[in-house]
Amino acid sequence: MTSSLLLSITTFVYLFCTVLYLSGLLFHYGRLLTAGTLAGLAALVIQMAGVILRWVESYQLGYGHAPLSNLYESLVFASWAIMLIYLIFEWRTKQRTIGVFPAFFAFLAMAYASFSTGIDSKIQPLVPALKSNWLIAHVITCFLGYAAFAVSFGLSILYLMRKASPDNPKPKSGILSALPDARQLEMFNYQMILFGFLWLSVGIITGSVWANSAWGKYWSWDPKETWSLITWLIYAALLHARNMQGWKGQRVALLSMIGFGCVLFTYFGVNFLLSGLHSYAR
Amino acid sequence: MSKEKSFLEKALDALASLKLTLFVFFTLAAASIIGTLLPQGTSTAEMQGQFSPTIISIIDQLGLNNLYHTSWFMVLLLLLCLNLLVCTLDRLPKTIKLLKRQEETFDSRKLSKFSYSASFTTGLSAEEARGLLHGAVADSFGPLHELKSEGAYCAVNEKGRWSRLMVYGVHASVLLVLLGALAGSRLGFEGFMNLPEGATSGEVIMTGGHSFIDLPFKVRCDKFEVSLYDTGAPKEYRSDLTIVEDGREVLKQSILVNDPLTYKGVTFYQASYGATLKDAEIELKERDSGKTITMTLPYQENRTIPGTDEQIRIAEYQENLMRFGPALGLVLGKVGQDANSGSYILVDHPEFHGNRVQNYQVRVLKTTKSHYTGLQVRRDPGVWLVYLGFILMLVGIGLTFYSSHNKIWACIEPGTSGTGALVSIAGRSSRNTPGFAESFEELSRRLTDQLKPEKMKEVQKKK
Repeated sequence: MTSSLLLSITTFVYLFCTVLYLSGLLFHYGRLLTAGTLAGLAALVIQMAGVILRWVESYQLGYGHAPLSNLYESLVFASWAIMLIYLIFEWRTKQRTIGVFPAFFAFLAMAYASFSTGIDSKIQPLVPALKSNWLIAHVITCFLGYAAFAVSFGLSILYLMRKASPDNPKPKSGILSALPDARQLEMFNYQMILFGFLWLSVGIITGSVWANSAWGKYWSWDPKETWSLITWLIYAALLHARNMQGWKGQRVALLSMIGFGCVLFTYFGVNFLLSGLHSYAR
Repeated sequence: MSKEKSFLEKALDALASLKLTLFVFFTLAAASIIGTLLPQGTSTAEMQGQFSPTIISIIDQLGLNNLYHTSWFMVLLLLLCLNLLVCTLDRLPKTIKLLKRQEETFDSRKLSKFSYSASFTTGLSAEEARGLLHGAVADSFGPLHELKSEGAYCAVNEKGRWSRLMVYGVHASVLLVLLGALAGSRLGFEGFMNLPEGATSGEVIMTGGHSFIDLPFKVRCDKFEVSLYDTGAPKEYRSDLTIVEDGREVLKQSILVNDPLTYKGVTFYQASYGATLKDAEIELKERDSGKTITMTLPYQENRTIPGTDEQIRIAEYQENLMRFGPALGLVLGKVGQDANSGSYILVDHPEFHGNRVQNYQVRVLKTTKSHYTGLQVRRDPGVWLVYLGFILMLVGIGLTFYSSHNKIWACIEPGTSGTGALVSIAGRSSRNTPGFAESFEELSRRLTDQLKPEKMKEVQKKK
C-alpha cells in the first residue's frame, strides 16, 4: 500500500460522492444523499491515511517533512479541508442537499493534482526557506480559509439559483425544491464566510510572523502576500456591507464569488503568472 | 438653533461612514492588484519597450512602479485609520451605554416584533405555566430573570453582551499593526551586508543601495557553508558569525535561513551567498628591463612591489568583463599616496596586450576564491506593536465568530376567556447563527408539547 495508491482511490471516491449528491438532489431521493455523505466520509478517511502514509514515506526517504510543501501536496490538503469543513457543516446544520459543490471541488483539486502534467507528485526534500515549524501552521490555516471560501462559493451559487427561480420562495418541483430556503442559505453562507475570514486572517498572520523570522520582514508586498491581502479586503468589505449596510442576498453572494476568484488567483494565478518569494509553490 | 450641520460635523460624518470604509477597502484592493501586475522597483526607463509613452507617463505620474510607498497609498492607509478612529469615537460610547443598561421593565406587546417569536395558549394556570417555562428556557438557553411588566409576567435570559465589544478589538488591532509599521519605518532600518569568510565589518548598506550606516559593533563571518541533498537541491545555508564589540568577541552563533541572530536589537538573517575573490598570484614584468616579479595580492589590500617605491592593489574583481571572462581591476601608485593609474587584467587571456599597468606587463598566475555570505540586516522597534495587533486581531475575530449577544424574553398573560394563560417567547441574536435558530425551534417544540398541544393557538416564526 502506498500513499499514491490511496490518493488515487480518493480521487475516484470524490467523483462517486459528487455523483451521489447530484443524483440525490435531482431525483429527490434522500438515501442517495446519505450515501453521498458516507462516500465523502470514506474519501476523507482514505485521503487522511494517504497523507499520513506520505508523511511516513518522506521520513523513509530521509527528508522527513509534513506533506504540505509543494503544489501537489497543498492541492491534496485543500481537497481534504473542503470535505472536512463541508461534512462538519452538514453535521451541524442537518442539510445534505448542498454537498454537490464541495464534493465536486474536492474532486477537482485531486484530479488536477493527479492528472496535470505540470504538477510533480514526487516527494521532494525541503528547501532551506521552508524548514520551519511555521510551515505546518501557515499552510493548514490558509487552506482552512480557502476551503471555507470554496464551500461558501458553492452556497452562493445555490443561493443565486434559488433566488432566480420563478416560483421563489417556494419552488414546487425541480432540483431547487429540495434545497433549504433562501434565507437559510444566506445565513449558512454568512457563517461560512466568517469562518473562512477567521482562518484566512490566521493564515496571513502566521505567514507574516514566519516571514519576519526568516527574512526579517513581516510584510514585503510579495505578490502572494498582496493577493491574500486583496482577498482579505474583499471579504472584509463583504462582512461590513452585510452587517452595517444591510446588504443581504444577491450582493453578498456575488461578493463571495468575487472573493473566491481572488482566492483562486492567490493560489494559482500568483504561482503561474507572477513571481515572488513563494516560487517553491509551483 | 439651526438644524444645518456644521462643516466639521459633516466631515466627521463622512469620515465615520461605511461608504468610506468600503471605498478604502476596494481602492486598496484595486491598487494592490496593480502593484502585483506591474513589476515594482523597475524604473520607467527599463519599461520603455513594454508600454506606450502615454502609459509610461501615467505610471511615472502616479508612481505605480513603487506604488506601496507613494504618498497617495499612504493617504489611503491614513483614511483607513481615520475612518476606524472616528467610527470608534462615534459608536463606542453608545455601545458602552447599551452594555451598562440593565433592562428592568418590559412591555409584553413588544414580543411579536422580534425576529424569532412564538406564542402558545394553554389550559394550565399561569403558575403552572411559569414553572414549565422556566425549566424549558433554562435547558435551552439559561435561567430566566424576572422583569417588571404591566398586566403580565415577563422574564429575560441574556448572554454574551460583551461580544458586542469584540469588533472594537479587531478595529484597534488594525490600528496597532499600522502604527507598528509606521514606527518600524521611521525608527528602524533595513539593509544588507556581504561578508566574505574571515572578514569583519560593521557597515550595513541600506536597501536601495544609496547609503550605509555603521553599527556600534562588528560582525565577522567565520565560515559559510552550503550543504546539498543527494538530488543536488540545496539543503541548508549556514553562516558562523561572531559579534565583535570593542575588540572583544561577545557572541558566537551560527545562523540558518529560518534561524537568525539578534544582538542589541539588530537582527542578521541568512539571505544570500556568493563567491568572491580571496587573493591572486600575479607576475609583473618590467617592460624596460624585462625583470619579472611574482607576488600574491590579497583582494583589496595594498602591497608594495618588492624593490620599488610603488604599491599595487586589486581594487575590483569582475566575473565576466565584456565577455572576456574574469578580470582583475589593478591600481598602482607611489607608496603612501593615492593610486594614479589602473587597468583591467584579463585572467584567462594572459597574452592580451592590454594586460598592463604603467610600466608593467601583468599576467595572472592563479586566483583563489572564497565564499561570502549575504546577510539581511534589520532593526525594527515597531515589530512588537505589530505582533500585539496580530494577537488582538485573532482574539477579536475568533470571539466574534464563536460568541454572540443572545436574548430570550418570555411572558405569561392571563387567558382571554378567564381561564388558562397565553405564553409568548421571543429571541434576538446579534449574529443569527444556525445554533440559535435551532435552540429556539427546539424550545418552541418543547413548549408546544408541554403546554398541551391540543390548545396550541399559533406557532409562528417570523422572517
